[in-house]
Amino acid sequence: MQTVHIEFMVNGKEVALDVPAGATALQVIREMLGLKGSKEGCGIGECGACTVVVDGKAVNACLLLAAQLDGCRLLTVEGLADPAGLHPLQEKMIEHHAVQCGFCTPGVLMSSYALFAEKANPKREEIVAAVAGNLCRCTGYQQIITAIEAAVPGENR
Amino acid sequence: MTEERYAVIGQSVLRKGAREKVLGAAVFAADIDLGRPLVLLARRSDHSHALIRQIDVAAALAIDGVKGVFTARDIPGVNLLGIINKDQPLLADDKVRSRADAVALVVAESQAVAEQAAEAISIDYQPLPALFEPLEALAEGAPPIHKKGNLLLTRVVRRGDVDSAFAAAASLIEKEYETGFIEHNYLEPDAGIGHVDADGTLVIYASTQNPHYDHKEVVGLLDLPDEKVRIIQAATGGGFGSKLDLNVQGFIGLALHHLGHLGRPVRYIYSREEAYLATSKRHPFRIRMTTACDRSGRLTAMRVRAVCNTGAYGSYGIAVASRAAVHATGPYAIDNVDVEVQCVYTNATYCGAMRGFGAPQMALAHESQIDLHAEELHIDPLAMRTMNALQVGATSSTGQILTASIGYRQCLEAVAPYYRQACDHWLPAPTLPHRRRGVGLGGMWYGIGNTGVQNPSTARIEMAPDGSVTLFTGCADIGQGSTTVLSQIAAEILGLSPEAIRMVVADTKYTTSAGATSASRQTYISGNAVANATRNLANVLLTEAVNRLRAPKNSLLFSGGEIVVASKPEVRVAMATLARRIHDKGGTLSWQGFFDPETVPLDPQTGEGVPYATYAFACHLAEVEVDTLTGEVHVARVVAAHDVGRAINPASVVGQICGGVAMGVGFALMEEFEQGRTESMKDYHIPTAADMPEVVPIIIEAAEPSGPFGAKGVGEPALIPTAPAIVNAISAALNRRIYALPASLERVLAASIDAGHYRRKER
Ligand code: FES
Ligand code: FES
Repeated sequence: MQTVHIEFMVNGKEVALDVPAGATALQVIREMLGLKGSKEGCGIGECGACTVVVDGKAVNACLLLAAQLDGCRLLTVEGLADPAGLHPLQEKMIEHHAVQCGFCTPGVLMSSYALFAEKANPKREEIVAAVAGNLCRCTGYQQIITAIEAAVPGENR
Repeated sequence: MTEERYAVIGQSVLRKGAREKVLGAAVFAADIDLGRPLVLLARRSDHSHALIRQIDVAAALAIDGVKGVFTARDIPGVNLLGIINKDQPLLADDKVRSRADAVALVVAESQAVAEQAAEAISIDYQPLPALFEPLEALAEGAPPIHKKGNLLLTRVVRRGDVDSAFAAAASLIEKEYETGFIEHNYLEPDAGIGHVDADGTLVIYASTQNPHYDHKEVVGLLDLPDEKVRIIQAATGGGFGSKLDLNVQGFIGLALHHLGHLGRPVRYIYSREEAYLATSKRHPFRIRMTTACDRSGRLTAMRVRAVCNTGAYGSYGIAVASRAAVHATGPYAIDNVDVEVQCVYTNATYCGAMRGFGAPQMALAHESQIDLHAEELHIDPLAMRTMNALQVGATSSTGQILTASIGYRQCLEAVAPYYRQACDHWLPAPTLPHRRRGVGLGGMWYGIGNTGVQNPSTARIEMAPDGSVTLFTGCADIGQGSTTVLSQIAAEILGLSPEAIRMVVADTKYTTSAGATSASRQTYISGNAVANATRNLANVLLTEAVNRLRAPKNSLLFSGGEIVVASKPEVRVAMATLARRIHDKGGTLSWQGFFDPETVPLDPQTGEGVPYATYAFACHLAEVEVDTLTGEVHVARVVAAHDVGRAINPASVVGQICGGVAMGVGFALMEEFEQGRTESMKDYHIPTAADMPEVVPIIIEAAEPSGPFGAKGVGEPALIPTAPAIVNAISAALNRRIYALPASLERVLAASIDAGHYRRKER
């Protein structure tokens, strides 16, 4: 099996790996790094359950080749909270009952995180657009959007 | 009714498990790591209908990395599955009845090897004519899909004299309605993993809605004693009915049974494509409905002839047909009823339970009929619904006298101001020239629990001598929040906070059966079982407290981990003290609870009976804007009023309502699973955040006397009225009715053209 050597940052830590040339970022994240928070809902870029943040942008890890992570900064849901506590997005998701089965939750969080990184004060429509690629079959999205709105940094601090 | 004050009932207590989920730490079946797993893959049928002459697995077995290939012959027990009627083999025996059928199971070192091996299995088929339409399958001389023939069941509900009422009608309307296959599309594809533990027990972690049923089926398939199989529900990413059938559990059990000696875990994770191919769908319905009313708009009679397609196997088909027949009248009092629903086998992927069990399909018909009558008689659609609404004292079509908790009128009243506002202000407001606006209503009733059959739940509560409490329930929380709700019920009775109740959930080793997480039954039925167990425990604590506090039982209250004398709160004793005393005396601190709703089976000839102990009610209002040039429908707002009896956790009820509306929007406008064509998520679209209207949830609490703190249920009701409300709104906007779902671009555009709206300039 052909492998590729890659070095990148995962949730603030440097890692070096030899990954199979054809492996997706999602496979490497889940199976080699053991970070199971990123989910596979479709494997073809349709559901957003695998969303991670690469160099500040939300991407579908199932469509990305692991080799493309070389030299990147990768953030997964496991990297959102810090020792001081949950990220405001995480807190608000709990508080606003935006989590039902929770399978879509990590992807929703990562898309929102990337939106906040890009825009300090997104409007409701912008939030909707940012998570429109994250399918949720349980919540109907209303409590999710409300939770994200409540976590907007401008509102918080 | 006196308004009681509760400490935790009616509070939007935060979800148990939500913290793990936002951290990415919740463990779904595909996340479980038990060491290097062997991978399972089923070889699915190459034909929709064929006899199997021979299966040759030699080539597959010869592939490096293949650990085993199993066929029906390797199943030691009964190779038939099904919760209501057993007709579905785990692995095809003498024939295949759909493309979803598994013929052989491969166990391999890796997914790639498993795929190669599955391909290498050679199957010699003798093809048979495949039937996809129920009417074809019912035709004289049609090849039988099952030995007993192609008609699984006819459910009849008859009452009064329909023909006489039709003859006297001021308005008589006969129409045909159609709905298609729907995919559940839970976000987590089915998955499971298992291993053999130190004492030889097969331990299977699965994404499931009914671990105790899984247990029974795996035990039966493998002919093992009960204690040799243990099913543990992993965190489950939605189900909506599809995870009520065995998906991966039987395969994992079979592999462990034969290969357990290898000491390796075995794992089966469906790809989304396999979940689409191999798991149940919503039953398509064809419904011919005739209804009559008098000049004032009062409904007098209904006749229904409906056929639903259960595909290759029964699954929950009998329940779907029965529920459809019972719910045909909708939440309306109709004295003369003649309903027949046939459930028919075909060679399509099998259909099973899906949120609403036939009621959503029927609701399209009864709600359209109401609007048609209203239009013909020039009656306001809301007034027409109000006039016909079931009320306390009414008799249902099955002859059941409804005695309490009938909140449909309250739902209609709650929606009324929004309806008037929409009709008076939103409807006439200017919009783009090629857009037309419409407002529509949809109503529903929904029996809580299984239809006219026993469906008990059990629970156990234990207090340790230190006063700590553990609640054991078999009830699978698949995201709807039952674990939290059940903890609230126990907490309320014992005066504790829900966080203080340790929950042990859905593990057949430690919990007793709570039945299926389906039929919107867990809050009502398992809630009552939990209340029963907890009240038993509370009673021994009170008895001990009487002794200790020298005050009569009826003067005592549970509060903050103590029992206090209501009139003298300073007289109190800690529950831990009481628990220790009871324990030391040899008293029991572990109590089992039980509840089974009072029902009477439906008479097979007349449908007479008491199918459910209680019903939920709802009314939705939809405001839509239709693009007459493209057929695009924009749903601007849905107002959703639900009588849930009592909202134990209001924010969770709101979550169910909003999620139900989303699924209803999908059912109304975009979802259709096309057999043989819908293969991946590229081919099937569910609503995204951008497709969703504003939802205004309204909770109505017409308390149910037999419910836990008055609660009924909401899971399925949330979805049911949405599609009829949207269809009624589209029909009003276009002056043309849509009779088949989904109301896709093509169908809406055709209606627009037919109504003469497809002319840009004129408007
Ligand atoms: S798993 Fe990547 S988008 Fe669905
Ligand atoms: S919470 Fe279940 S898919 Fe979003």
